[in-house]
Amino acid sequence: MGNRRRGSILTSLAVTAALAVGYGIVSFMAYKSWLSSYHVQILIWVGVNVIMGVSLNLINGFTGQFSLGHAGFMAIGAYTAAYCTKILGLPFAVALIAGGITASAGGLLVGVPTLRLAGDYLAIATLGFGEIIRVAIVNLSVVGGPRGLGGIPAHTTFLWVYCVAVLAVVVVKNIIGSRHGRAFIAIREDETAAETMGIDTIKTKIAAFVIGAFFAGVAGGLYAHKITYIDPGQFDFMKSIESLVIIVLGGMGSITGSVVAAFIVTFLPEVLRPLAEWRMVAYSLMLILIMLYRPKGLMGSAEVSIAGIRSRLGRAFGGFGVGVGAQAACTAAADGSGCGSRSGAGGADVHARAAKLPPAIETQGVCMNFGGLKAVCDLNIQIAKGELTAVIGPNGAGKTTVFNMFTGLSNASVGAVLYNGKNITNRRPSEINVAGIARTFQNIRLFSNMTVLENVMIALNGQHHYSMLESVLRSGRYLQAEEEIRNRALALLAIFKLDNRADEIAGKLPYGDQRRLEIARALATNPHVLLLDEPAAGMNPQETQELMELIKWVHREYDLTVLLIEHDMKLVMNLAQRIIVLDHGVMIADGTPAEVVKNTKVIQAYLGEEAV
Amino acid sequence: MLLGFDMSQILQQLVNGLALGSVYALIALGYTMVYGIVRLINFAHGDVFMLGAYYGFFAITRLHIPFILAMPIAMGLAALTGVIIERLAYRPLRQAPRIAALITAIGVSLLIQNLGLKLFESRPRPYPQIMRTIVWDVGGVVFSNTQIVMLGVALLLMVLISLFVYKTKTGKALRAVAFDRDAARLMGIDSDRIILITFALGSALAAAGGVLVGFYYNRITPTMGTMYGLKAFVAAVVGGIGIVPGAMLGGVIMGIAEVFVVAFVSSTLKDAIAFAVLIVVLLVKPAGLLGRAVREKV
Amino acid sequence: MSTLVVEKLDVFYGAIHALKGVSFHVDKGEIVTLIGANGAGKSTILKTISGLIKPARGSIAYGGQDLSAIPAHRLVDVGISQVPEGRRVFANLTVLDNLEMGAYRRRDAKGVAEDLDWVFEMFPVLKERRRQLAGTLSGGEQQMLAMGRGLMSKPELMLLDEPSMGLAPMLVREIFDIIVRINATGTSILLVEQNAIMALAIADRAYVLETGTIALEGTASELAKDTRVRQVYLGMETA
Repeated sequence: MGNRRRGSILTSLAVTAALAVGYGIVSFMAYKSWLSSYHVQILIWVGVNVIMGVSLNLINGFTGQFSLGHAGFMAIGAYTAAYCTKILGLPFAVALIAGGITASAGGLLVGVPTLRLAGDYLAIATLGFGEIIRVAIVNLSVVGGPRGLGGIPAHTTFLWVYCVAVLAVVVVKNIIGSRHGRAFIAIREDETAAETMGIDTIKTKIAAFVIGAFFAGVAGGLYAHKITYIDPGQFDFMKSIESLVIIVLGGMGSITGSVVAAFIVTFLPEVLRPLAEWRMVAYSLMLILIMLYRPKGLMGSAEVSIAGIRSRLGRAFGGFGVGVGAQAACTAAADGSGCGSRSGAGGADVHARAAKLPPAIETQGVCMNFGGLKAVCDLNIQIAKGELTAVIGPNGAGKTTVFNMFTGLSNASVGAVLYNGKNITNRRPSEINVAGIARTFQNIRLFSNMTVLENVMIALNGQHHYSMLESVLRSGRYLQAEEEIRNRALALLAIFKLDNRADEIAGKLPYGDQRRLEIARALATNPHVLLLDEPAAGMNPQETQELMELIKWVHREYDLTVLLIEHDMKLVMNLAQRIIVLDHGVMIADGTPAEVVKNTKVIQAYLGEEAV
Repeated sequence: MLLGFDMSQILQQLVNGLALGSVYALIALGYTMVYGIVRLINFAHGDVFMLGAYYGFFAITRLHIPFILAMPIAMGLAALTGVIIERLAYRPLRQAPRIAALITAIGVSLLIQNLGLKLFESRPRPYPQIMRTIVWDVGGVVFSNTQIVMLGVALLLMVLISLFVYKTKTGKALRAVAFDRDAARLMGIDSDRIILITFALGSALAAAGGVLVGFYYNRITPTMGTMYGLKAFVAAVVGGIGIVPGAMLGGVIMGIAEVFVVAFVSSTLKDAIAFAVLIVVLLVKPAGLLGRAVREKV
Repeated sequence: MSTLVVEKLDVFYGAIHALKGVSFHVDKGEIVTLIGANGAGKSTILKTISGLIKPARGSIAYGGQDLSAIPAHRLVDVGISQVPEGRRVFANLTVLDNLEMGAYRRRDAKGVAEDLDWVFEMFPVLKERRRQLAGTLSGGEQQMLAMGRGLMSKPELMLLDEPSMGLAPMLVREIFDIIVRINATGTSILLVEQNAIMALAIADRAYVLETGTIALEGTASELAKDTRVRQVYLGMETA
């Protein structure tokens, strides 16, 4: 812990020093006239583009919300800041912040209604908002309307842009490296899974929009005070596209990539200047070719970081590593006791809670229709606390629908779904998860581009709190919470024998490991009820056998109520205490495995009608 | 508010709006058909529309081809352009992340536009007058023979494309591929070929729109594709993207809304109204006026 | 004489080894059924035959011709048609248009018209509803439409993927009767089913799949009496 703190301070110092040197070099070169004012000006545009790119990357690249209206936020910031200095005579710093804040307000205004939309529709709506903002400014005579606003004081210097760009990078990077950032990325990876991991996806998406808009607004302020004349035409759709090109070229979800791409996108037209009128043709051609040959951008989602360089150096020269101690300690506890068990971090409360009322999940006469097709009808299921129950039935019997109703992904058309006697019928999946129901998915919904460790850490989000500001400042509480989250995640992974793969990309794990990771992730949300949707699907017999032991162990050790859907009947027969059989959305049997296997209705449902 | 204006003025704007809307509808059809089949917002479509206008322009002014032939020639050339774009720029990215295809589309759009600026010059060109404008005044509502030609041609093309999509075997295959590409392949439908046909048709319709805009408004520029394209695209979304009648409905709504705003509110809001309509429609009916919401399968 | 010969097929779904050395064959005029519980790999076999999935190893030949080089949309030319799992009718097209799509590659208008009459005779309900959008049909009607559509290419071999799925027992029996009738006209049938009893009742031969391998094979009448089938399905230890 102290070690980590020291490492963090050392890193900050190193970064600050490097940045100061970077600035020093540029000013020295400018002083020596090696860089002309033309070059410095281009560097200022690079800085503005870095801010635009990094902030859009937060929205698009990290949170996965396709926004095509970033120039609109820039326009709000530019106009607000210009108004503050030129007309109100406020200091530049105040004007920039005011620009950022009004743009944030714009982000909120855009975000709240549009974030219900997804994918292409969101892109179109943000595009529309961007255009509306532009036209609104055209109609604002106080800032010059269509004629624009001239005579803005030329406050923007390289130093200003440099500092703000660094600030934007640091803020975005630090947020991304926190529980908030993991929530953003989780939404990008799989919004539904994120929601069932207890992440309030709506709030989180709006947060991304507001922060991204803030920096775009500040960038606008810097831009206005450099160019000194702004008009609405400068913030059109093409400007939004420019930012989009930066993040796609650099790699969605790579801050380093955005920075590099901001350089390229700013310099390229300058470099191509000898081509005169052909330069934009060449520019667009290059854009197409890059997409065709590197559709994931220059960097993919990789980053160049101090830590990365240090670890590479460390490997080369031996030593210099920090913070692997905790990992080693928990790896040793892979047998399930010690820090693997939940009695360590937050387990005691589970047992306390268990002692209360007999909690159960139940459905009361629920029906669920899918476009005229009854998926489930008049279903009454009660699962007593602590039971390990299997739900079986042929394809299309309505099993997954039942899970979806328990986890808030589907809302029953008729009837009620209860948890601990409380009605949860129309609650959001994130609320239901926080209340204590966690699940896995039939078709595995891991956050597949994140590491194994991060997948579990996301699920611990709701149990360790620190604010976004604290994550930006890397406060003590942040460091402590992150350490705890990490250790708990590693401990959980150890139980599932995944700790040695903690840093691998989840989507690249072998299939059986992915299934187990999904269970680990669900468990990390600290549930009372665990719903497993075909956990053994695609596993080989040995993996299935191990899984069975694991489920038994988890059920006992964590004092859980477990409900599982499974087609592997050997697993079901050996594991379940009770089996519920569904067919055509109706419960046709309910009993012990021995009873169910003799039930004629069940045999008919499985083998066909005349089976008896 | 409209009550303050007399009826003939409203009718007048309806006529004007219908004329403009028919062009939006023609362009929107290409957006919607392409989106329906490959789920790609083809940003280059607006620029193909621009190219169509220029193809027609050069056919008439340089090759002295009569208008009646210049239009089909422009449509044919645009269809070829669309096919080349799909083949070279989009097909290689069919399995890539969708944003890559989208950026490529933006790149193609920029490429065509900048090529246009270079090759066709940036100055607006006056479209050749192919017929003397005759104006009729019917009870205060003024309409011209050019307006009638424009509406007539647009309407004819829309009828033809509807007949194609709903009545011909290839048109049905097009809808089948759009609905379920794998199932269509099992029927023996070559989906790649159908996609090419879709691009060709969409591009041809856009070119027709381009020629009509030149013919009616007498003025074309290499950058005109952007705004027409965006608004036509908005029209497609408003009507319900992927739905052929939706594009027509959306186009007409866009045209009328725009003309009305300019006439009765403020001409500075001309470009905003389309997006305002878009956002309202998306919030009320996220899948567009004629669209149906699809649930994600968990 | 064998028409369809599948040998030592290995298929991976991402990281899942979905089929492990599966071999089987369908002879001319036969009804062969592949049965097994969910997730056994039945549908994967059909998707591989139709070229929607590429196998890692193994071969698929039809009438001596290697199918691996033939793209999915050319399979009907060879004489194979597939009725996919979950029916997958074109909901946005009318019943008649769906049937027309089944005959997409045929150029003999007269033959197509005759086959259409034949399909309507076999499925009178489709004739009644021919102007209706396929999406408005009931599940059973959609299954009939999917089969009718499959027949419109005039196949020598028809691949049927879980035709009984989600249907009420009455309808299942009706569908299976029709399968027998189709077979009686000379079309070979490969029937993939979970409903083992029904499938075994109409098939000549059967293969039982269990987690990607063929666990049992034999004539349908033998397997119908074999208690091991039930064990495979219900997960009881094989004695």
